[in-house]
Amino acid sequence: MQLWHSLLQLGLLASTAVPTVAASAWGFTDATVSVHSKGSGVGAGLKEKIPDNKGLSQPIDLGDADTLKLTLTSQEGSTAKRAHQVFLLLQDPETGLDISYPFNVKDNGKARVELAQKDLPVQFLSASEPLDARLLIGSFGSSKAYNGVAFQLSVTHDPNVPVPTVEAPKYGKLPEIHHIFKSDPQSPPVVVTLAFVGMVLATLPFLAVAWLFLGANVSHLPAAFKSSPVPHTIFLGSLFSIEGIFFQYYTSWTLFQVLPAVAVAGTVAFVSGSRALGEVQGRRLAGQR
Amino acid sequence: MRWSLSFFLFGFLAAVHALSSSGNRLLVVLEDASEKDSFSMFWSDLEARGYNLDFQSPKSDQLSLFELGDRAYDHLLVLPPRSKGLGPALSPKNIIDFMDKDGNVLLALSGKSTTPSAISSLLLELDFHLSSDRSSIAVDHFNYDTISATEKHDVLLLQRPGQLRKDTKSFFGGEGVLAFPRTEPHTLGNESPLMAPILRAPATAYSYNPKEGSFSVEDVGVTGTQMALVSAMQARNSARFTLLGSVDSLRDEWFSATVQAPGGKKTETANREFAQQLTAWTFKETGVLKVGTIEHHLAPTAEAPDVELNPAIYRIKNETVFSIEVSEYAHDRFIPFEVPSDDALQLEFTMLSPFHRLDLQPTSRTENSTIYSTQFTTPDQHGIFSFRVNYKRPFLTNLEEKHEVTVRHFAHDEYPRSWKISGGWVWIAGLWSVIGGFLAFVIMWLYSAPAPAASKTKKSQ
Repeated sequence: MQLWHSLLQLGLLASTAVPTVAASAWGFTDATVSVHSKGSGVGAGLKEKIPDNKGLSQPIDLGDADTLKLTLTSQEGSTAKRAHQVFLLLQDPETGLDISYPFNVKDNGKARVELAQKDLPVQFLSASEPLDARLLIGSFGSSKAYNGVAFQLSVTHDPNVPVPTVEAPKYGKLPEIHHIFKSDPQSPPVVVTLAFVGMVLATLPFLAVAWLFLGANVSHLPAAFKSSPVPHTIFLGSLFSIEGIFFQYYTSWTLFQVLPAVAVAGTVAFVSGSRALGEVQGRRLAGQR
Repeated sequence: MRWSLSFFLFGFLAAVHALSSSGNRLLVVLEDASEKDSFSMFWSDLEARGYNLDFQSPKSDQLSLFELGDRAYDHLLVLPPRSKGLGPALSPKNIIDFMDKDGNVLLALSGKSTTPSAISSLLLELDFHLSSDRSSIAVDHFNYDTISATEKHDVLLLQRPGQLRKDTKSFFGGEGVLAFPRTEPHTLGNESPLMAPILRAPATAYSYNPKEGSFSVEDVGVTGTQMALVSAMQARNSARFTLLGSVDSLRDEWFSATVQAPGGKKTETANREFAQQLTAWTFKETGVLKVGTIEHHLAPTAEAPDVELNPAIYRIKNETVFSIEVSEYAHDRFIPFEVPSDDALQLEFTMLSPFHRLDLQPTSRTENSTIYSTQFTTPDQHGIFSFRVNYKRPFLTNLEEKHEVTVRHFAHDEYPRSWKISGGWVWIAGLWSVIGGFLAFVIMWLYSAPAPAASKTKKSQ
């Protein structure tokens, strides 16, 4: 019941409001924009007149030490009047960031605003595109509010001075990290290795040739085996088996497999070796060597 | 863990109702009982979703947020009081304590009266800022309702909010226009990643104090999109706090009002859907994440197809697979969680600092969860590492998982054998040539007869 009542009231209000909406709209006249540089004389710098309810076509530069001054007269329809909202809205077309600077408005509608680079938020200083400077003029009541681009404002700064930036902390995806591994150890080319292996192995034939040249021989082998065959066989066999055990250790056996085997082979080599060397001593005493 | 327990408890009740993931005891703080009827649709919507509403006046003696040291309610909804404050039971400290114990808060403001300084100091604690006189309202001469606010322009017409950023989920989107009558705007502090605006004012809006007769430049508060009308703060324990600038937008008359923007068509407001989305998010019906099973193991190879699950020890340079199961609670059940398009669920393999930070990819889905996994090689550094998933995003509850493992170096028998290294062949050949030479020398020494020619020359000298 109450709702219907208020709706009816609202409807009545709306019906009375409609014609006035069409009748008047907010706008501005006598608008001038000027840029003064600090230290330059009066009258220096740029001064442009903005056509009524329209915008300038060329962008306006605002340097480090410059002050931008904008004056206008707000009007409702064609009568100058004070509006509640007379704002200069700066908007970064890339990021959509915006900030408004209210004009100082007198009762007769005359309004002015001054703007220096230090008044701008830090985010605007690093904007790559010129900012959109819009004029917002509106007030209570049914008159249509004005919102139009007045000019483009490009913020210039000394290229030698770094532009301050801000980074607000926010949760989000972080850059990926992939661990950089140490590089694997490298071997020299196989050809080089094989050349050195050949040189190392060539020492054996070199040794054999040198011994033969010096008269080394195995002429006492039949005599030795004839006088004491068992110690010689076992002694040589144990020496070879010790080297065989070392080979097994190198390829597959563990230390505790190797130790008893070496102990056995070593004892055998000690016992049989003393016998075999006794035979060698016998040959020396007989004057055969 | 506690959630899952409460799910089991409430699972029996939830057969009919949709239910919040963190309980259904809702305290509504309402000073003027006669106002209750003007929000009747809002209350019935909440009751239909399974909440037990308990209406209390802030002046009531029995009112307490805690009982025997634990919280007595799961959620708190505060409507703006007429009087100077909310009383001792709802002091800023008590409300913060309530949030520390995982309670969720929805606080509504109104531009009709001055906001009490107690509320303002609570908001300051959370880094929400009201205008200094605490009685500003937002106006916009471009987006107002021409039917109800022809003169004052204080009923803002706004589009439903979309995504906050490209990498966030949208919980408040949809078709339709929102009407925000007599809104007290606020601004957000710049230092906290815990806060996020839900609904911002249009660029042409501004705020002012309607009680001041004359209006000058100094009276203008914040302007444009810096002005937030609805904002959220999610604490580190995932307790949620939502600040709604206009309590009137919850009233029955605005749930189904017809509004018209200047130069626009008449449309119905979508306030009812938005209020549902807002309460659903604040009271943890949406945007609640849950981790299911977490698995890590060696990558199965052809030689070793069966691998031990979640081993305590890895070796350096092991191929390792990590997977995590994530579900999202949506109104009444868990659904598979999908990461927003520009975002990623990331795994860090850390020892003090991350050695790897990798995007986890969805590999499979179950009925109510998505399994994200990735494969990587453990770094060539031994020590105590941990698998970490630290997923904190606006509007989603925080996920923080840390699983510690040992990474050992190579055992002595895990290196390649020396003959496999071509550079070692020279040394091996040297060794065996010495052995061969020794054996040949032993034979030569044992059985060599004196060289006859040499001995003759020796004797003759």
